[in-house]
Amino acid sequence: MTIAPLVEQELLRPGSLEEAVEAFGDGSNVTVLGGGTILMPEFTAGRVPAGRVMVLTGAGIDRLTNDGGTLHIGAAVRVAELEDAPEPLGSAARSVADVEIRAQATVGGNLCAPRGSAFPRGDLQAALIALGAQVRSAGAGGERTEPVEEFLPRREGRLVLGVEAETAGRRGAWASLDRPHTHSYTPLAVAAAIGPDGELRIAAGGVGAHAVRLPFAERAGVAATGSEALADVELADDALASAWYRQRMLPVLVRRALSQLEEQA
Amino acid sequence: MNLTVNGAEYELASPPLASLLYALREEIGITSAKAGCQQGGCGTCTVLIDGQPRRACLTPLLTVDGASVQTVEGLGDADNLSPVQAAFYEHYAAQCGFCTAGMIMAATALVERKAGATREDVLDALGGHFCRCTGYVKIVEAVVAAAAGEVDTARPDPQDEAGEPEVVIPGSPA
Amino acid sequence: MKAVGARLPRYDGLQHVTGQSLYVDDVRVPGLLWTKALRSPHHSALIRHLDTSAAERLPGVHAIITHEDVPVNVVGHLAALGVPADEPLLAEHEVRYLGQPIAAVAAESEEAAQAAVDAIEVSYEEREPFLDIRKAFDPEVPKLTPEGNLFFYEPHQERRVRKGDVEWAFDKADHIVQGVYRPGAIEHAPTETQVALVVPEATGRLTVYSCTQAMYFSMGVVATHLGVPLNRLKFVGGTVGGGFGGKVDTATETIAALLALKAKWPVKWRWTREEEFLCSSVRAAWHVEIADAVTTEGWILGRRTMTLHDAGAYTRFSSYGATKHTFHLTGAYTIPNVAFNSYVVWTNHVPTTAMRGFGVTSVSFAVEMHMNRIAETIGMDPWELRLQNANRIGDTAPTRVTLKDPSAVPTMLAAAQAAGVELAGDYRTMTSEPRAGRLLPEHLASQVGDLGSNGGGQ
Repeated sequence: MTIAPLVEQELLRPGSLEEAVEAFGDGSNVTVLGGGTILMPEFTAGRVPAGRVMVLTGAGIDRLTNDGGTLHIGAAVRVAELEDAPEPLGSAARSVADVEIRAQATVGGNLCAPRGSAFPRGDLQAALIALGAQVRSAGAGGERTEPVEEFLPRREGRLVLGVEAETAGRRGAWASLDRPHTHSYTPLAVAAAIGPDGELRIAAGGVGAHAVRLPFAERAGVAATGSEALADVELADDALASAWYRQRMLPVLVRRALSQLEEQA
Repeated sequence: MNLTVNGAEYELASPPLASLLYALREEIGITSAKAGCQQGGCGTCTVLIDGQPRRACLTPLLTVDGASVQTVEGLGDADNLSPVQAAFYEHYAAQCGFCTAGMIMAATALVERKAGATREDVLDALGGHFCRCTGYVKIVEAVVAAAAGEVDTARPDPQDEAGEPEVVIPGSPA
Repeated sequence: MKAVGARLPRYDGLQHVTGQSLYVDDVRVPGLLWTKALRSPHHSALIRHLDTSAAERLPGVHAIITHEDVPVNVVGHLAALGVPADEPLLAEHEVRYLGQPIAAVAAESEEAAQAAVDAIEVSYEEREPFLDIRKAFDPEVPKLTPEGNLFFYEPHQERRVRKGDVEWAFDKADHIVQGVYRPGAIEHAPTETQVALVVPEATGRLTVYSCTQAMYFSMGVVATHLGVPLNRLKFVGGTVGGGFGGKVDTATETIAALLALKAKWPVKWRWTREEEFLCSSVRAAWHVEIADAVTTEGWILGRRTMTLHDAGAYTRFSSYGATKHTFHLTGAYTIPNVAFNSYVVWTNHVPTTAMRGFGVTSVSFAVEMHMNRIAETIGMDPWELRLQNANRIGDTAPTRVTLKDPSAVPTMLAAAQAAGVELAGDYRTMTSEPRAGRLLPEHLASQVGDLGSNGGGQ
């Protein structure tokens, strides 16, 4: 088995958030290494990206705080640290891979990892969308802060610095298909939450390149049949599930998530 | 870079973005952690980093500079097995043995974190560990027994237990 | 005999739990060279040009071998059984599967070896591959050999089993129940990938650290390719990181041995997980067609089958596996009149090999699915259908072996109990004792064998 060590890459090791932002620049020619769960196998197989590798360990963006109901999640916070987070984020975090992988994978990586060759990635994304989380990122044009659902389609060339979610007074629910095995990404998942003002937010993961918000389903309210969500997504076949199967299961999962919310009320 | 492995200190020459597994196997010569899949999917390279179970193949070496790593060689030897090692031995939880070191390290972390861990706790803690031989039944039984303290770490000599074979064919060399 | 019945510790248990078991990749030897192989990127192609001279000049490269360096390149895994040799160790004028090795490099690091592989000049003339065994009889499909895509079982093209009068059975049937079953290929996925380490001695003797499951078999394969007597090889093995049949093939030892002889240094070849999945042999895919002559009372009077076995690009153990398959095509049941035809089909998939009951698991899958289909067709309880037809003492197998100790009935009764299935009274108390009364209808009377006549068993 090849265990190719990396020797020729220029290594960037920022010691602070500011240094990380500066080293990242406009993101060209920089590969960001968070936990390494996606990149290390690539390196080992000899698929080493051109340019520089920036390692986030030591950049001081790995803090998780809960400030009066607002969750501040640093980009390098490990998925395992979110296992007890408010729903649906806690359930989403617990459904990622296994004990060891969760302890190593980061939130930033979960938001930025591109779709795999034959499967979706980013199992936390739908939960963060449902919670109305905001992402702070750096890159060309400077820093910006935006909702997760707006960040995901234009995340290319961005360095995630942190995520904030108002969780006080919010009720959440998570419904997902079982994974075929521990290390599989979730084939399809629905996250839903109701805010203190009664606002219902629903999102789905495993539906494409990244998770998406489901506005048609949201408009139908907690009594939605679930099939409204089909107007919100463009489903495709991949190694985990067919579009045919997802089309039949998405309404079921929406309904399950909404039923959970109704039961909590 | 510096690393303490099983109590011994090493100054490493491996490149900073090499995996911890590379440093352990190729530079230090500790071979219990295996290169099974090299993508975090099989669990056989699992070691304890500062007491926590981690995949050595996914861990960039520079992120563990100064850390303390424990492998199964550092748990106990044949005369002085740790409770989890003894449980694996007693319960026949190792067949081909290739996944065993990783399983034992993950189970050791669980047992230390949670005495009296249940079957469900074990399934969760070993959920990412791949065994192609056993079907997991004996592995789970072993870890539950270790968590419950139901192991005998004083190992009997297999020869004593088996006894001398009886001579059944007159004149045979046995 | 104190070990029999005693609860003994595993002989290798202590070394497993203390991390002391040495697998092939754990063995360290000074001056080790590493191997990478040039593998076919095509399912099927002619090799038009192969030139290793530029690769040989690269730094750190000690040896490169092609088919010209192999004393006996084409060998058959079952040559001892008279099966024709058909598989080259390294491809000569053509490649028949994606991942087939063409050349191999020994260099001072895996990176240097890979760089040399990348520097080998090779050009292909791609051919249309043949990948679908269902088209085995289609004259239009690409042919892997001049004779076609079917292995030849002397004196037939197929492995045949015939017993009784199958025409009579289909004439008498109340129902003809047909089904097609297609168990897919399966990768063994051992946690230890294929690996070998070969250390040459000055005398020319080789020490081969091998992960083989079949030590003497692998020794024979290596000796045959090298054209040397067995006493030139010292095999060290016994610690296998999972095999499940896949390590019966001698995947790495011979190439590593040839490189070690040419480089005069120790050589290790360890496959990546990707190589293991893409290039290692698999359990074969099968296409099984069954037609049964069935009565409304739930008797299977006769069975016709046609099986296609996807051997992959070369024969390896396929002819043996398909023979085993054909012998077992009644499953655990007694069927007095049968006509079974099984074909071994070469395709441009990776060659297939042994895996846990290979040849027979495909039967079990197909037959048990078919039993359910019969039960559904005639409206009979599937447990009762199985128990009524299950092999009993004195029944004869399709090969006319008389069964002395069949286990189908007690196994099914235990399964029913474990599954919480309530069987009707006379089924619950059923045994394997010889057929009598209701369970010995006229059509079975003539097939009951003579228990004294052979050494049968199940």
